[in-house]
Amino acid sequence: MASVILKNLTKCWGDFIGVDNQSLDIQDHEFLVLLGPSGCGKTTTMRMIAGLEDPTDGEIWIGDRMVNDDLPKDRHVAMVFQNYGLYPHMTVFDNIAYPLRVRGTPKGEIEPRVKKAAGQVELIELLHRKPKALSGGQRQRVALARAIVRTPRVFLMDEPLSNLDAKLRVTMRAELKHLSRELKITTIYVTHDQIEAMTLADRIAVMKDGIIQQVGTPDEIYNDPASLFVAGFIGSPAMNLINGSVQDGYFVTTGGTKLVAVSVPDKPDVVLGVRADDMRISEEGEGDIDARIYAFEHTGEATLLTVQWGTQRVIVRGARHLRKEQGEIVSISLGSDHLYLFNPDTGKRIRG
Amino acid sequence: MTGKQKKQISQAIQIVLILITIFVMLVPILWIFMAAFKNHIDVFQLKLFFTPTLENFGTVFEAPYHLGMKLWNSTIVAFVTVALAIPIATMAAYSFSRFRLRGKTAMLVVILATQFMPAVVIILPFFVMFRDVGLLDTRIGLVLVNLAIVMPFAIWMIKGFIDGIPIDTEEAAMVDGSSRIMVIRNIVLPMAAPGLLTAGIFCFIIAWNEFLFALILTNKDAVTLPIGLALFKAEEGDLWNLLSAAGIIIMLPMFILALIIRKYFVQGMTMGAVR
Ligand SMILES: Nc1ncnc2c1ncn2[C@@H]1O[C@H](COP(=O)(O)OP(=O)(O)OP(=O)(O)O)[C@@H](O)[C@H]1O
Ligand SMILES: [Mg+2]
Repeated sequence: MASVILKNLTKCWGDFIGVDNQSLDIQDHEFLVLLGPSGCGKTTTMRMIAGLEDPTDGEIWIGDRMVNDDLPKDRHVAMVFQNYGLYPHMTVFDNIAYPLRVRGTPKGEIEPRVKKAAGQVELIELLHRKPKALSGGQRQRVALARAIVRTPRVFLMDEPLSNLDAKLRVTMRAELKHLSRELKITTIYVTHDQIEAMTLADRIAVMKDGIIQQVGTPDEIYNDPASLFVAGFIGSPAMNLINGSVQDGYFVTTGGTKLVAVSVPDKPDVVLGVRADDMRISEEGEGDIDARIYAFEHTGEATLLTVQWGTQRVIVRGARHLRKEQGEIVSISLGSDHLYLFNPDTGKRIRG
Repeated sequence: MTGKQKKQISQAIQIVLILITIFVMLVPILWIFMAAFKNHIDVFQLKLFFTPTLENFGTVFEAPYHLGMKLWNSTIVAFVTVALAIPIATMAAYSFSRFRLRGKTAMLVVILATQFMPAVVIILPFFVMFRDVGLLDTRIGLVLVNLAIVMPFAIWMIKGFIDGIPIDTEEAAMVDGSSRIMVIRNIVLPMAAPGLLTAGIFCFIIAWNEFLFALILTNKDAVTLPIGLALFKAEEGDLWNLLSAAGIIIMLPMFILALIIRKYFVQGMTMGAVR
């Protein structure tokens, strides 16, 4: 139970910069999700906090103590490794019990706590097995149980649910959310899964190339992206990014179609971002712009239409019962809220 | 010819080749085995059927041969060598495997290079040194020499096993609350155990069979079994029956160790990472 503060944290390997001079304040009890493409430095950041990697520069504070020179064991963090790091020569029970044993937990306490943690990740029947005899998802749950069996000051979870099937993932997600609220343990969580990030996080930090692009609540990140990268990275399907310009208060596509009124000064080169949910579909001629359907998909709870707008393709989410054929013409309308304009050169948001 | 017939023929060829190989390898051993149970008259005849006797195994332990003392020397030397070599080699191997050391590659190569030095080249310096410090004809002296022989081998071999232990496992243990020493005790040693055992057995075999240094550096008190074999050359020629009996005594532990090693070697080799 402690805050985690990163001050100008840098990690280099030779010329290669893995994490580039990043600062981040994570409050006590906060659930922070690190989100970013593969290779952006999420694991590296976690490893530095855990003490497995020495920062090239900068400070790491856990609580009111700078821990740069503390051994991993003295930092009192529990980590779920991206590749599990199980003890192959021990049974599942012993794997989960290990952190309790090395920290000198009283004998009588160990078994009930291991059983409880194993129960939380639905592993009770497998306690006597060795990791070799487990599936990938089961191994991952052992790694998870080994972390939640104790009450550390900070949880570090590196894609802890990545190998679980969809159903179990949802259950585990709820379990983790419940656990983190109940135990009030500061948690840093890495995931590629947007829904996991949105549902679990108090705040999300979006990273790219070793640099944190934006930190904010899921709502801020989703509805108020600070840059082109964050806008394109968050959300599924990804935000539509349409190249064009602003002329006479209107956004005009590169192809010359006048799309929608915007409240920014004229500018020759801009990118318009609009989410699939923020557009309406109507019959040909009834909306703002007519477009031909390039592809039509159902996802179960909704439909997705990819339409061709000049040279550009745009994805629009439609109602669940909408039925259209490829090649048909539909009309799309853009509301004037939830439109985002970006400078394509700097990637920065242009605010009206 | 059908595929099945082809397969049968190739299998038959395989079996024949294996039998030939086994035959070539086993004939000398078989010969020694028989000779050891023959009396000194039968031994010069290639008889397959004879009245076996245990007399030779008694004779070799009596005067003037005193094989018992040599057996004891060999046992002590080999065991102490292994008992020292494996812990030291394990520590060295762990450091080489896990720590960033200045000149690591160079050190590893130098360690290996000592193995390429022909023994005859260094045996004289050893003799002179041992004479000066009074280590000639002592078991301690032999242990030192054997250590020098087996250490490079043991370090490389154990390093290979430790390299095979995924580093995440150790890192997980450190985050879980272990110090480096606890990591080594709780994680590395149990996981490398088959490897350590295999390395230990190999070292034992090398030390047990070591001949050249023992020949030059001992003459009476610390003589080992392989040197003891030379005793069975008498004026009347080689005493093949006694020689064979002594040979069997030398080989026996090797057979037993080979059986153990077979089990653990496979295990050691296949013990991979668990993701
Ligand atoms: N030991 C190392 N030496 C050199 N480069 C490294 C080392 N470890 C990581 N890197 C590099 O640092 C960058 C960040 O790696 P990191 O493992 O933190 O990525 P990540 O964000 O966790 O990605 P993923 O989502 O794929 O797990 C990568 O480009 C990687 O190649
Ligand atoms: Mg990673």
